[in-house]
Amino acid sequence: MVSQHGILLAAGIIFDHFGPLVSKVCQCLLRHGALPLQEIVRCLDLSPGQVKNSLLVLIQHNCVQAFSSPRGGGDKTSTHYLAIFDNILHRLRFSKFLSVIRADIPESEALLEGLLHNGRLTFNQLVERAIYKVTEGSIRPAREEVRMNFNKLVYAHYVERCPKPEPFVDPLQDEQPTSTRKRAPKTVGKNVSFDKKVVNTASLSDAEKFSEIPYITEDASHANDSPHSDIASAKRKHEALGIDEELNSTIAENEVLWRANFEKFIFCLKKKFCAERKKPKLKVISRHIWESFFEDNLTNKDDNSVTSTLNSILDRVGQKEGGASMTIEHVTRVLEELNICPSSEDPDAFTLDLSRIVEASQYEEMESLVKKKYGQQAFTIFRLLVTQDCPVETDKIIDTTILDKQIVHGTLYKLWKDDYIDSERIASGTGTGNSQFFVWRVKSTFQEQFIDNLYHAALNLRQIINYIIELLLEGSKDETKLRHRKNILILALTRLDDSLMLFHDF
Amino acid sequence: MPPRKRPPQPTNASETPPEVKIRISPPSIPGAEAPPAPGPAPSVSILPANILAGFPPPEREIYKLVFSGGDKGMTQTDIRIKMGVTASTLTKHMRALVNTKGVLKVVTNVHKRGEKIYMDARLDPSPEITGGTWYRNGELDSEAVASARERCLEQVEKLGVATADAILSGIIKDYPSVGYSIEQIRDILRAMALDRSLEEVRSTGAGQFSDLRAGRVCYRKSSAPQGGMMEEIPCGVCPRIDECSPEGVISPRTCVYFKKWLQMDF
Repeated sequence: MVSQHGILLAAGIIFDHFGPLVSKVCQCLLRHGALPLQEIVRCLDLSPGQVKNSLLVLIQHNCVQAFSSPRGGGDKTSTHYLAIFDNILHRLRFSKFLSVIRADIPESEALLEGLLHNGRLTFNQLVERAIYKVTEGSIRPAREEVRMNFNKLVYAHYVERCPKPEPFVDPLQDEQPTSTRKRAPKTVGKNVSFDKKVVNTASLSDAEKFSEIPYITEDASHANDSPHSDIASAKRKHEALGIDEELNSTIAENEVLWRANFEKFIFCLKKKFCAERKKPKLKVISRHIWESFFEDNLTNKDDNSVTSTLNSILDRVGQKEGGASMTIEHVTRVLEELNICPSSEDPDAFTLDLSRIVEASQYEEMESLVKKKYGQQAFTIFRLLVTQDCPVETDKIIDTTILDKQIVHGTLYKLWKDDYIDSERIASGTGTGNSQFFVWRVKSTFQEQFIDNLYHAALNLRQIINYIIELLLEGSKDETKLRHRKNILILALTRLDDSLMLFHDF
Repeated sequence: MPPRKRPPQPTNASETPPEVKIRISPPSIPGAEAPPAPGPAPSVSILPANILAGFPPPEREIYKLVFSGGDKGMTQTDIRIKMGVTASTLTKHMRALVNTKGVLKVVTNVHKRGEKIYMDARLDPSPEITGGTWYRNGELDSEAVASARERCLEQVEKLGVATADAILSGIIKDYPSVGYSIEQIRDILRAMALDRSLEEVRSTGAGQFSDLRAGRVCYRKSSAPQGGMMEEIPCGVCPRIDECSPEGVISPRTCVYFKKWLQMDF
């Protein structure tokens, strides 16, 4: 279940992007879970037309998924609408997604921008947009060129076909084992698992999702003129399937809706985060090998690991300063020191498990906050409790940390009072039976609480940014100063969003 | 009639000269040697029967009971319950055994300051009671801890990656007068790894660990801490975050911390 401040943040984002009505509908869905149209109308006291239009906007922007569900005992079904919290939050990071494309396939950036702006578009709409966006004096892009750039995005899984518009989901049935989604739910809970079930059922198979637009056009002459005519003509050799392919192509261009594949972007950002996180700790040679490993990795098989072949790592290391003289043994040894292990499937490849870096980074973030808020001693005690799998007794904490007893007692009380740690009283079995011990452990809900605080902080930053924008619109005297402050806040929000991704999405 | 005032309880056995003088071992110097094993030390045996014969029978029994507690001693409550005597009677006997005869002594428990522990005057209290080697008179010797940490860090900086043994050897070489035990150094290194002053790693036997057998626990200087994305903004460390809401009395628009952070008046 999404936390209180998470819902407010999501509603705030939708308010800023689509206005108050859409935000109201979105907040209602986030608070109550999946609801049919009539229920939303009843909850919000809005007209059915307003709610319907709001839902259409949210569906268009991939923030809501519709599904049909059995009604009563008969064969009747009703349409429910489910808000997809993750996709709403991804709207905060569109600029980061664009920067991923800018680094990987710069020529396709405009197409992705179109999809992010409009949520879902057909290929035809994208072409029209590309032509319309051309500035005066520059060359109009050919349809084939747009198609080529678009297919690059699909091939790299940055763009996917939209999920089924209204799949049938029975809440009482168990999830089908033939789920196309690979990621397991991150949190266990009835609501979350049902949300995931709906998303999984709506999702297409990977083969369907990333099926590119065939290089067949109604106007074959245009294709012959293009630099990719070879490919096009090669395709046309399949004469038996020619008509079908033409039909497929027409459907793919005119009817199939496409959208950005957020999962792929989040994986790219996760990879980048992990690479950057460890880099400052490494010495020059190790850093070169670390960078080379990340620069050229094979297609990921899952969301938690990165794999690269030894040959490609060696090639890239060789191009770096001082890397030419490195032997295979040296590179292999450094890779193993960096916890990059030989792959079990391919003997020439090396794999790194990203989840360990993510977990370590999450703890670093939490520990760093404890240090800043409560001081060095609290940091030491908190780290001790984090590293121990079991509850730790007060005297053991004093002995291990070699800190003064009074300080330890005071700090433990502060951490306990602010819900960071849990304590338990244990009566001693020895002596007169009067003595008792206290054992301490990090609270199991601490991470959820930390995430809720992150949402709260992001919500506050957004509120101040909006307030400064209001002041700017009113025409303040200190316009330069205000703009400068606004930029500081936007930067802070971007950085805070990294933390949000680390805890919620990675 | 006003209540009879009790004479103040003696806090240390050595303050009053004992009537029957028994040889008392000198108190252990922190850091001089490894802590003794719990239980009566093998060299210390129960007082001979001829001395005990001179004690009144209840005092003899109390002494035997306390002696059985070894270097962990026994609290007054435990003795009272086991002996089945009243508190005032026990106090009288304990005073005689501690002050007059000097065969027992009182030690303060580092974990429970108010609780007196009685034990044979010839025994050194166990580290559980004294708090271990980093404690002096029941108080943490912060200066000793700080100087030990400094010396460990100095050795790690010198050696790069080192085991606890190598660090101890280095310290002994540079400061021959200090008498750290390997256990003390391990305690300090573990505490330093906890607060990220040092990093605890296992040797792989190759690269920078080439001089160390694979699998040994080593220490190296920790890199600069990462993270801190949350604490950079006022909300991260705000003491009033629980009372803050968009439309509340405390809200981002009225927040004094944000005003201060952005150096501006809203």
